[in-house]
Amino acid sequence: MLKILIKKQMAELFRSYVYDPKRNRTRSKAGTVAMLVLFGFLMIVVIGGMFTAMSLAICPALYMAGMNWLYFDLIGLIAVLMGVLGSVFTTFSSLYLAKDNDLLLSMPIPVKYIVAARLTSVYLMGLLYSGVVLIPAVIVYWATTPFSVMSVVGCVVYVLVITLLVFVLSCLLGWVVAKISVKLKNKSFITVILSLAFIALYYVLYFNAQTLIGQLVENAAVYGEKIKGAAYPVYLFGRIGEGYWPSLLIFAVFTALLLAIMWIILKRTFLSIAISTSAVSKKKTDLRQVSRKSVFSALLGKEFSKFVSSPNYMLNCGLGSVMLPALGILALIKGRDLADLIYSGEVQMSIGTVAVLVITGICWIMSAIDTTAPSVSLEGRTLWVLQSLPVNPKSVLDAKISMQLILTFPPLVFCSACCVAVMRPGWALSLLIFALPAAFALLLAVFGTWIGLKSPNLNWTNEIYPIKQSLPVFFSMFGGWICAGIIPLVSLLLLRNVMSCELSLLMLLCVILLTAAFLYAHLANKGAETFSKL
Amino acid sequence: MLIINNLTKTFGEKVAVDNLSLHIRPGEIYGFIGHNGAGKTTTLRSVVGIQSFDSGEILIDGKSIKEQPTECKKMLAYIPDNPDLYDFMTGNKYLNFISDIFGIDTGERKDLIQKYAGIFELTSDLGQPIASYSHGMKQKLAVISAWIHNPKLVIMDEPFVGLDPKSSHTLKEMMREKCDGGGAIFFSTHVLEVAEKLCDKVAIISHGKLVRSGTMDEVRGDESLEQVFLELEADNA
Repeated sequence: MLKILIKKQMAELFRSYVYDPKRNRTRSKAGTVAMLVLFGFLMIVVIGGMFTAMSLAICPALYMAGMNWLYFDLIGLIAVLMGVLGSVFTTFSSLYLAKDNDLLLSMPIPVKYIVAARLTSVYLMGLLYSGVVLIPAVIVYWATTPFSVMSVVGCVVYVLVITLLVFVLSCLLGWVVAKISVKLKNKSFITVILSLAFIALYYVLYFNAQTLIGQLVENAAVYGEKIKGAAYPVYLFGRIGEGYWPSLLIFAVFTALLLAIMWIILKRTFLSIAISTSAVSKKKTDLRQVSRKSVFSALLGKEFSKFVSSPNYMLNCGLGSVMLPALGILALIKGRDLADLIYSGEVQMSIGTVAVLVITGICWIMSAIDTTAPSVSLEGRTLWVLQSLPVNPKSVLDAKISMQLILTFPPLVFCSACCVAVMRPGWALSLLIFALPAAFALLLAVFGTWIGLKSPNLNWTNEIYPIKQSLPVFFSMFGGWICAGIIPLVSLLLLRNVMSCELSLLMLLCVILLTAAFLYAHLANKGAETFSKL
Repeated sequence: MLIINNLTKTFGEKVAVDNLSLHIRPGEIYGFIGHNGAGKTTTLRSVVGIQSFDSGEILIDGKSIKEQPTECKKMLAYIPDNPDLYDFMTGNKYLNFISDIFGIDTGERKDLIQKYAGIFELTSDLGQPIASYSHGMKQKLAVISAWIHNPKLVIMDEPFVGLDPKSSHTLKEMMREKCDGGGAIFFSTHVLEVAEKLCDKVAIISHGKLVRSGTMDEVRGDESLEQVFLELEADNA
């Protein structure tokens, strides 16, 4: 029984390599192999390579200082963070939100088998995320230090202990998420806020990790003694990798105990969580809350309802709306010093050059607002509603464009205003800092709708595919970045000796506006026709 | 009210609808019967303008769905076989969305929503997201949204699937009432007993071709509709 369930779980885990959810069909053999090669390249070469480089930078120094244990502690900490952060939400969804939970629970299968099968994939996910840190680190350790049987045994146990710790932590956090989720009401917004907090935390860790690790390695002896004195178990934990047998024994027993506790908790609570429904109180229907809207307002309202109902949509296509004000605030905090340096002549950079770079930065960040790109695809199976209603398809497309512009303009104006306030350029550059990104926003919104119509995917099985993994989104975002890159290329390189920054930016503004107008005219005619025939 | 002239639609090499002609007059409940894959849904989708067709003509109250789609759609309502509605809206929000599109004023829509939601016992659920609705509740909401703007022509694809017996009965009464008021209804069904009792006229389609149409008496003669349907199916197999 358990074997069958695990087999099913594995088929589900590796389904994306043999099944194309965008087209709703099985991949060709070549497609499957290409997916596996791509995945292998990403995990082994790109991510594995990154951690190999990191291990090579730390391991020899700590080995020379006689602090192998600190090396294993550091690597262990990074692996646990990678593994837990990478798999906590997967744990929650694969354990409690699996689509076949109802089916399996209705069959004569002991609950413990269902839990065990689900946990197998959770362990594999954790192994995958932590493995990309641990395996290169262990190989680097073996290559740096002299060979001994105990160090081989120690490293094997170390990898096993870390992956099991990741597994236990992921499961417990997944359980906590599930417990909270059952009680939550406004899930969409809370998910977005939590995800933004995670992203912020990730970037803080990412940007500070290099410095922290560097400091730790440079002062290994001092920090090492402090850790040993204040947190002896941490020291003991690090010695597992060296093959120090008391450590092996203590942490093997400790991990086994944690595993047992986690198993008991999950086994006892799985059924009640899996079959529970969220604590959504039944809202009283209030038919008086009615206000008549125009057709366009109704369509725009519908677009916003969709946007705010989907954390995936908000996070993946609306992130720029949060990043733009953040950039503005950053400019207010950090930009003043730079502006003073420029005006005092200490930095050899004209204010025109700075303006071009600021405009480029704003446009680059703005490319992260791309709600129009997946919007047509997101109509999916509900497309019939708009198509069967007496609305002009152009109005539908206008509503999609308008939503993106509404999400872009207020934070954009704030960001531009902050930059202008800090830089204090002349009136022409000030106007351009507002106008050029605004024109760029228009182009992005129109282009996203156009590309979304050109390559729609209406047969998706999960909305994440049109939102995150579709060609329109790819072209919209990367196209935006490339176009943003053209601004300094033209203004600071190609036309630098021909005309002033103001003039070149004005020229670019005209080109962007003309392109947007041309695309919009095309959308209004051919695009509307295409939409009605989808 | 609805004239379909020589409608033909192909998907690749498969002819889904083959030179089909029908005429549905005001006051008629017109049933559309056929085996799975006979071309019923393709015809209905073509009529409401969400499926392009290769040749032929579809006129709604004298206006071509190809030439004046928006004008035609103002006169009709469509309920598909699987009512995929906006899951992210509440029932009330969805009905207001439809009312906004059809320009129904605030007071009138409030009364209409109250009336139809009351008839289908959906009032207390209108504040809930559509995502939480059962198939039957979605079907009821689709029916309410179709009736709320008082269309002249209602096109329905298997409208009774998922509805409980009471709601089915209510819908049948509403259909009759609509036609008594000068409207017309064109709907597909697999339930021959329903077609036999409810329809003024019926059309039988097999492999994309219209094999028989007319008043119920003309189509069935002395036999039951089921017998006629099975015989025609055997002839066309």
